[in-house]
Amino acid sequence: MTTKSPRPGRASGLDRVLDALSFVCKLLSGTAIVVLTLIFGWLVWGRYVMNDTPTWVEQVALLLIMLITFLGAAVGVRENTHLGVSYFREIVPSRVRTWLMVVSHVFMAVFGAVLAWNGYKLAVLKWESSIPLIGVSEGWRAVPITACGILVLLFSLGHLVAIARGERQELDVSELVE
Amino acid sequence: MGLFILLSLFALGVVIGMPVAFALGAAALTAFWWEGLPLLIGLQRIVSGVNVFSLLAIPFFIFAGELMFHGGIAMRLVRFAAAAVGWVRGGLGIVNVFSSMLFGGISGSAVADVSALGSILIPVMKEKGYDDDYAVNVTVTSSIAGIMIPPSHNMILYAVAAGGGISISSLFLAGVVPGVVMCVCLAVAAYVIAVKRGYPSETFPGWTALFLSFVYALPGLFTAVIIVGGVLSGVFTVTESGAFGTIYAALVTLIVYRSLTWENFLIAVTRAVKTTSMVMILVACAAAFAYMLSFYQVPNKVVKTMLGISENPIAVLLMINATLLILGMIMDMAALILICTPIFLPVATSLGMDPLQFGMILMMNLGLGLCTPPVGACLFVGCAIGEVPMEKAVRTIWPFYIAILVALALTTFIPAISLTLPRALAG
Amino acid sequence: EEWKGWNIHVEGYPNTVAMDKFGELLAEKTNGEITLQMFHGGVLGSQPDAIEQVRAGALAIGNFNLGPMGPTIPETNVVSLPFVFKDVDHMHRAMDGEAGQKISDGMAAKGLIALAWYDSGARSFYNSKKPINTPADVQGMKVRVMNNDLYSGMIQELGGNPSPMAFAEVYQSLKTGVVDGAENNWPSYESTGHFEVAGYYSLSEHLIIPECVCINADVYNALTPEQQTAVKEAAMESATLQRELWATRETESRDKVMATGVKFNEIADKTPFQEAMKPVYETYLAANPDIAPLVELIQSLQ
Ligand code: NA
Ligand code: NA
Repeated sequence: MTTKSPRPGRASGLDRVLDALSFVCKLLSGTAIVVLTLIFGWLVWGRYVMNDTPTWVEQVALLLIMLITFLGAAVGVRENTHLGVSYFREIVPSRVRTWLMVVSHVFMAVFGAVLAWNGYKLAVLKWESSIPLIGVSEGWRAVPITACGILVLLFSLGHLVAIARGERQELDVSELVE
Repeated sequence: MGLFILLSLFALGVVIGMPVAFALGAAALTAFWWEGLPLLIGLQRIVSGVNVFSLLAIPFFIFAGELMFHGGIAMRLVRFAAAAVGWVRGGLGIVNVFSSMLFGGISGSAVADVSALGSILIPVMKEKGYDDDYAVNVTVTSSIAGIMIPPSHNMILYAVAAGGGISISSLFLAGVVPGVVMCVCLAVAAYVIAVKRGYPSETFPGWTALFLSFVYALPGLFTAVIIVGGVLSGVFTVTESGAFGTIYAALVTLIVYRSLTWENFLIAVTRAVKTTSMVMILVACAAAFAYMLSFYQVPNKVVKTMLGISENPIAVLLMINATLLILGMIMDMAALILICTPIFLPVATSLGMDPLQFGMILMMNLGLGLCTPPVGACLFVGCAIGEVPMEKAVRTIWPFYIAILVALALTTFIPAISLTLPRALAG
Repeated sequence: EEWKGWNIHVEGYPNTVAMDKFGELLAEKTNGEITLQMFHGGVLGSQPDAIEQVRAGALAIGNFNLGPMGPTIPETNVVSLPFVFKDVDHMHRAMDGEAGQKISDGMAAKGLIALAWYDSGARSFYNSKKPINTPADVQGMKVRVMNNDLYSGMIQELGGNPSPMAFAEVYQSLKTGVVDGAENNWPSYESTGHFEVAGYYSLSEHLIIPECVCINADVYNALTPEQQTAVKEAAMESATLQRELWATRETESRDKVMATGVKFNEIADKTPFQEAMKPVYETYLAANPDIAPLVELIQSLQ
């Protein structure tokens, strides 16, 4: 179940910036999933053909999955594609619905801010530890969630601005189907 | 009080329409704050939730499924199924069921099945004179087979939620027979309704055409052989099988079928990332939520309460089944697997049930929930593709519900259905 | 005050019993001022996560193996150097003396106070192919190791193919030949069922890794001196119990797997193995020059 905000004819400056951010996230996470597949191909080749397992693959893969998860999740907030329950939104009068959406976006914005700030603190706590076998700082593991927090905050604020401007957001199930 | 905050905030978030993942995360972090626990540890739980090696198989299954669909493998599988069983009365309904078995066997995701197979099959069925509600219902319910028949990323979620002690290959093996049983039940339902409504049958295309459609489908079908075979034979680990299967699917559609264009590839990548991140953020936030459930010792309390009501295994199992069904009706599958496994699995094992069998019961229950209103991702997608109002589809879907419930009852009360294969073949 | 504690082991395991005993003693010795609620079975997260949780103060207490502590606290990595301890007795002498104190100081710098040391026995190689008597027997073998450069370096220097792999995948991988061998102590070899699929156990005892009962430094420093003594005593007494239980458990596990026909061999001369480790030590000490005196101290106790 998804909701989708129909793009207004004239995209505002804010929209253009947020869309650009969202596009960068898509680019990075899309590249990450392709790289993930390729390095695992390399692992299979190394383990079974060369009898020389590349020991770095697992740890790099776990970092890549962080990137895909948290950047992808932020894009999902921008594009309203996350799994949610819109049943109750649909059965209430439209004025109540708008308020539900405002509250929901405010919660999301606060949650994003909490993620960003504590993600930063987690990165600091982890910074001096290093990830075995690849030797980079543990702190990098917390970077994607920190970025996700900032992006969720921005995207939710973007939705709130759109509602304030009266750009109605309609439910659109067909989005999932494409 | 803390537990009350955790649960009621989550419920509030869901009701106002927050994404389920973020509702879980926000409720969990609020409970962290309430208990005076450092919030950065809440963040650690979220990060660690996806920092799990077994979960790496999930993006591969999803990516492979997208490549198969956008690279033309799924279409060839459907043609083969149509040639094989399309000549039976109401044959396209049965084709639908068995296509889900073949394709769902690879994508491992029920929603992916509905959108992939549904967009191929529903229009064809409508064109051939099948009612739209029938076409949608059979597509939606048979997608549950994809959850049962390996590979299935939901099974991986279950193994992870159970604490990592359950072998994924054994789980995959355990799903085969219940999945086939369910397919047979659904095929029977599809056939009976088709006869009743007087639906047409296709003419048998002849052995040559059947053989040819099989040959065309074979290289694509081999993706499933790699992924499932790799896992079950133990030649590869689950993750390696997924990665190898993905690379194979890309190569086959690119070189053998020559149907994977750059545009299709980009679409497959985009959609794979979208689905992966949707599932994984849920896993991530559910980990923080599960931490607080453990913190409040909810699993222990539920075991005590349930066994306090009755120590009769059948009564307890019925209680669990009913609870899961109701939860499945209002919430999504992945979130429920992650939340319910740590709570109900101890109850089931304390009754002497094998975790493999419990996994199958959980999958079927929650799978059925995907097809029921008010919250059912598969039903929504199916209705959207078939352009059928949900009320209309739901009015005639009950024979398929009964078919699934029959399969569920058999799986619940006959352990051998789930356990024979893994005991015979795995350790 | 109620403390929350983390332990990865299941009910009935020596560490679990000992940690529960620690809680009991703690309440007793502080006249109920401090109680301990233990979360066994790793339900609150993996060990690296739990270390962070204790450091950040979400939990007060943890029972940690020093192996996975290495990435956070460099001093603890010294016990992960292959063959650094000759036997369990050597490890006890080192940890209960000055070397243990130095490791504690390293932990204290990261906000953890070590209260007592537990045992986790000695890890040896096992595999599905043949008995290991010399490094040449490891040649070309795919051996699962834990995620640590020292362990993968160890296999590399013995001529094997180190394969880091999630613990849950090891059984199936041993069975089907994705890996040929792994390494662990007797109780794990038994409880994981690995003995069913890798029937050669060679007593290399290459890693003897102690465990610690750790407390969050702020929590500990906020206690009165009497309370601090009580906490220490309770932990030490639980350690005595844990070491006894561990020894019993080790014997039981060994007897159990031996009865199933596992082919067991002692290694007559471990010198070639120890000598093969030179590059591992050199690489490690080049990267951590501060640790060199600690390594020498431990070796001088042999
Ligand atoms: Na499947
Ligand atoms: Na539902």
